[in-house]
Order: sequence, then structure tokens, then C-alpha cells
Amino acid sequence: MKTLRKYGFVFSLYWQEGLAQRASFVMERFRALVVMTSLYYLWSALLRNQTSFAGYSRPQILTYVFGMSLLRSIVFASRTDEIAMEINQGRLSGYLLKPVYYFVYTFSRDLAEKSTNFISSIIEISGLYLIFHVVLAWPRSWQTWVLFILAVTLAMFMNYLLNFMVGCWGFWTSESSGPRFLLALIMEFTAGAFFPLDILPLHIQHILQWFPSPYLVFFPLNILLEKADMHQIINGFTAQIIWIIGLSLMARLVWVRGSANYGAEGA
Amino acid sequence: MVINPVIVASDLVKTYRVPQKKPGLAGAFNNFFSREYRNVEAVKNVSFTIQEGELVGFLGPNGAGKTTTLKMLSGLLHPTSGDVHVLGFIPWRREAAYQKKFTMVMGQRTQLWWDLPAWDSFLLNKEIFEIPNSEFDKTIKELADLLEIQDLLDTPVKKLSLGQRMKAELACSLLHHPKVLLLDEPTIGLDVIMQQKVRQFILDYNQRYKATILLTSHNMEDVSELCTRLILINHGRIVSDESFESFQARYGKTPLTEAMRAAFQQK
Repeated sequence: MKTLRKYGFVFSLYWQEGLAQRASFVMERFRALVVMTSLYYLWSALLRNQTSFAGYSRPQILTYVFGMSLLRSIVFASRTDEIAMEINQGRLSGYLLKPVYYFVYTFSRDLAEKSTNFISSIIEISGLYLIFHVVLAWPRSWQTWVLFILAVTLAMFMNYLLNFMVGCWGFWTSESSGPRFLLALIMEFTAGAFFPLDILPLHIQHILQWFPSPYLVFFPLNILLEKADMHQIINGFTAQIIWIIGLSLMARLVWVRGSANYGAEGA
Repeated sequence: MVINPVIVASDLVKTYRVPQKKPGLAGAFNNFFSREYRNVEAVKNVSFTIQEGELVGFLGPNGAGKTTTLKMLSGLLHPTSGDVHVLGFIPWRREAAYQKKFTMVMGQRTQLWWDLPAWDSFLLNKEIFEIPNSEFDKTIKELADLLEIQDLLDTPVKKLSLGQRMKAELACSLLHHPKVLLLDEPTIGLDVIMQQKVRQFILDYNQRYKATILLTSHNMEDVSELCTRLILINHGRIVSDESFESFQARYGKTPLTEAMRAAFQQK
């Protein structure tokens, strides 16, 4: 318990730092608001003269858009880009010299980032919901909420593990930002963070199911919209758990190899 | 009286693989397609033993291997070969029990949170090192008095002067009462008065807690006022290891800087 307290304090300090850096925070939330509003108008325009699109009713697609925005704040909001910088600039030394697990430390930092974004996102979504009088497709049973929250939590872990590994590339190269941006874009696109993946051709959907990305946004939102049947839900959770186990082992291996290779340059 | 060796380094070697690039645009293109590396032996068979309570100057010109050796003693770097034991621990294993007994202060690096008051960084270290409340309160009072920083603790670190920041940095590094201090250029960039205060503090800490201190510095006043023993290193090799008195006796009334230069040239 005492050991965990330090990570709780890290979480609190990053909250404080976020509040101290008001301008960055406001600009970031403005960006998120622009993305959500644009997607809302795009899908509203597409559904103006029809009741459904690719199997989605208007309330379902708008629920997807709002849900997508919420999940971006929980799953994709991250400060793992700082990992490679900390390695390359030698700032990692400060953590390696102290009795902290860097993996847990960075997770606490990520949680702080996610929670601030999540709260802001809820406020923004509620605002748009009230302003545009949006009709949403709310789940009919409480079990759906439980499964949705579970799927989002697992998605959050999956994406954190992926990002942690990408950050660890900094141990071998000082040029990890290029691959990271490319990967982030591909991940968001194939996760369903711009549109539902089942509007894509079937053969692409079949290929994507073997990658981690569809389980980050599309799968949890499919649960929320009650479009996934029991078979798909079981398959989705199994895939998430297998990915988490696999990625955890890989992240550990990358960290052990990388930290042994660490040159502590500039420190 | 039993004298315990606190730091034992035996035949330490550290080799870096350094990328090479020819100058100019042609060199950059060439480097883009084929990277060349060169092995640089930064530390060559370095051996020394330091006893409890000693205050040792580890001196040499830039690039001599001082900081690399300190990084191996701290556990930041794995030696390419050779052994090192500090307080009976193998540093690069990075065991929490070891990390709670030593500290490393790098003059040009800060562990303090830039946007937050130093007090928050102190509280974080309190949690990280699991310092009980009563001990923390006592230590903070003691350190704040010694370093005269009581009035600075509530000011954001970015608003502090370099000297004030260095004093806060020292206090933050010593909250857990380390038995071994590795100080890399602790007075770099400070004005004369501040240098004097920091030196006095290091001496007080050494005497009060019988702490073992290894410091690197290019400031000869640090050396003459603090060190009882000098280890000189050049081109990765130890060129001299003797008491400050015997070093001085060897060079008579020659100023310390000149004596150092002569010592390096002789070898």
C-alpha cells in the first residue's frame, strides 16, 4: 500500500502541473472539440436525407461519434511520447536512480492525463448534447454499461503497453518520433477513431481483426451500441486479454534490454 | 576502530559505441545510407577503494571518464567489464535498498518539477523513498536551515535563481539521508558566495552524518576546501590516488591548478 502511495502522488502532481499549464490544456481541449464538432456535422450531413447509413441509424452513428470522442480521451490521451524524450535527453536517469518502477510511474502520469481529458471530454460532450438536442442510442441494460467499461479499461491498458514499447525505441534511436507519429495515425484510423470499422469492405475487416487496433475503440463502442452479439463479445474480450498478455511480455523484454543499453547521455 | 570500504571499484572498463559522421551535406547523405560507428573506451581498468566518511575529489579534464565512472557507481551504466560494489550492493542491479542509501547530484541537471514549487518535489521524494512523516519534518527543517531555503520552498522552481535551485536540488537529494553522495560538479554556474555556502553544506553533511562523498569538480576551491583525498583520472585511466596533503607536499607552493596540470602531464 505504501509502495502504491508514491504513484498516487505522481498522479496528483501531474494534475497540479496540468492545472499550472493552463494555456496548453485549453488549446488541447479546443482541438478535441473541433474534431468532435466536425465529425458531428459530417455525419449529420450524411444522414440528412436518410434514416440509416451502413447499418447505423442516426442516433447510433451520433452515439458512435460522441463515444469515439470520449474514448479518445481515455484510450488515446497519453504522455508516453515523453518516454523517448526522457531516454534521449538523459532525464530517465532521474527515475533509474530512485526506488520507482518507471513503467508504473509513466502509467500514473498517463492516468493523470487521461483523467483530465476524460473530465473535460464529458463536459464538452454534455454541452454539445444540450446545444444540438442530439438523440442518442442509450444502452437498454445495465449489463451493457458493465461490459463497455470493462472493454474500455482493457483497451486503455493495451494502448498504454503499445505506446510504452514505442517510447522505449528511444533506447536504440534518437529518431523515434517519426515512427511514433506514423503508428499513432495508423492506430487511430484502424481503431475506428474516425468512423465505425464495419463500413469498410469485409476483407479489410477480416485482416484488421488480427491486429490490436479494432479492440481499442470499435469493439467497446460496438458493445455500447448493443450491436455486438455474445459470440463477438467473447471473441473481443479474448483478443484483448491475449493482446495484453503478449504486449506485457514484449514491453518487459524491451525495457530490460533497453535499460541495460541505456547510455545516460546528457545526464 | 573498524574502517569499512564503502565503494570498491575493480578494473572498471566502459566502452561506448559512438556514431561517426563526416562534415557537410555529403557527409549527412552518406550517413543516411550507411552509418559508421567507432568504439570509444571511456574508462580503462579503473580501480579504487573508498572508506566510510571519506570526502574524495575525483578530478580530471573534460572527457577524462569522471562522469562515466560516477554513472557506473550509481547504477545508471552497466560496466563493459570489471566489478563495482557500493555499500555491498552491485549498483547496476538497481535494488531499492541501495537506492535508498545513496544519491547522485548532477550540477546541470534538476529533478525538481519546473512548474511547481520545490516543496512538491520534496513531497514526491518523501513518498518515493517512503520517509516517515516525523523524520521528513525533522530533515526538512534541518536542511532548510543549513541551506537557508525556508522562504523559497513555495515558489515555482522556474522562478528560482540558479543558486537557489541548486540549494533546493541538494536538499531534495538528501531528504532520505543517503550514506553515499556522488556529486558531479555541485558548484557549477554558482556565484562565489553561493559556492561557498554549498561547500560549507557539503562539509557539514559529511561530518554530521559520516557520509562518504565522491565529487567531481573543475573548481579548485571545491577541491582544496573539501577533499581529503584526490583521485586523478585522464584518458580513462587513474593517474594518481593520494591524500590531499601528500599531493600538496609533492608540489610545494605550486598553485593547485598548475599542480594538477603537472600531474596529468607527468603521466
